[in-house]
Amino acid sequence: MNLFYIVEIMRERDYLGEFEHIIVLALLRLDDRAYGVTVRQEIELRTDREVSIGAVYATLDRLEKKGYVTSHRGDPTPERGGRSKRFFRITAEGAKAVSRTHRALQSMTEGLGFIRSHP
Amino acid sequence: MAVWLISLFSLTNEAESIQGDLLEEFSVLAAKSGAHSARGWYWRQTIKTLPRLAGFGFRTAPWITAAAVAGGYLLRKLVAPLVDTVTFAVIERYPVLFEHHFRAYLFFASTGLDIEHLITFLLIGFIVAFVARQREMVATIVLALIWAAFALSGSAYAVIRSGNDELLWRLAWYIADSFAIVVAGAIVRMHRLAVKPRPVA
Repeated sequence: MNLFYIVEIMRERDYLGEFEHIIVLALLRLDDRAYGVTVRQEIELRTDREVSIGAVYATLDRLEKKGYVTSHRGDPTPERGGRSKRFFRITAEGAKAVSRTHRALQSMTEGLGFIRSHP
Repeated sequence: MAVWLISLFSLTNEAESIQGDLLEEFSVLAAKSGAHSARGWYWRQTIKTLPRLAGFGFRTAPWITAAAVAGGYLLRKLVAPLVDTVTFAVIERYPVLFEHHFRAYLFFASTGLDIEHLITFLLIGFIVAFVARQREMVATIVLALIWAAFALSGSAYAVIRSGNDELLWRLAWYIADSFAIVVAGAIVRMHRLAVKPRPVA
């Protein structure tokens, strides 16, 4: 078994962390409107937890390093003091990772009826 | 101030997006809930964001950052005895001068020595920041914290052993030494930001 095959297998088994999972789902929801502000607001709106922009970027950068997300810069805008937006998009690898994680979570929660009775 | 802190801690390519995002949300919040509330939100975001940026900066280049910190620590160990040696060599070289100017002698042998150490720490901070490219603040803060921890424990030990609590005053100089390292990190970072062109969209 060669090294590249082992690395490939390890990558196949890589699950997303909790916050990574949430971020990737936010990217999927926002599609081509996903940048720092919208991602942060989407997470706050849906999870009801205050999220810092630093946490969003640290996670997005980590996901980009893993190849699950790509980013590109938009045009500078005046309401941002002439600074450009950095848009994020999920890659095919990222989509695979989110389904893998989702399947694992579904499988782990299957039959655990108490989750529904303990909000 | 908050914008400046973000630029100190973030990697060059992400500072622009983070500052832009914060400004965009700040403008919306200020129009909706007032400038005071928006400023509070901005500061909360900045304070929560800085450790994340520092952590991310370290994780993306752990070896070079750790090497800069370790190198700075060793350099300090190497240079510190030389400062004392050079100062006393100068004092001994001109005994007549210091006999006539006893106050100058006292200054050189006490406060002057402390100032020389402070300058040495500043110079070491410059070197550490120069090596830890884009992670200047992380590297210099870690080195400053290590030094401050040693100074605190050493001073506490000295006070307990000698029972002389006046030794605690020395702590002010030790803390100033640590602070000098961080100041050097900020100066190098600001200089690099000033000379680096903004990334092209």
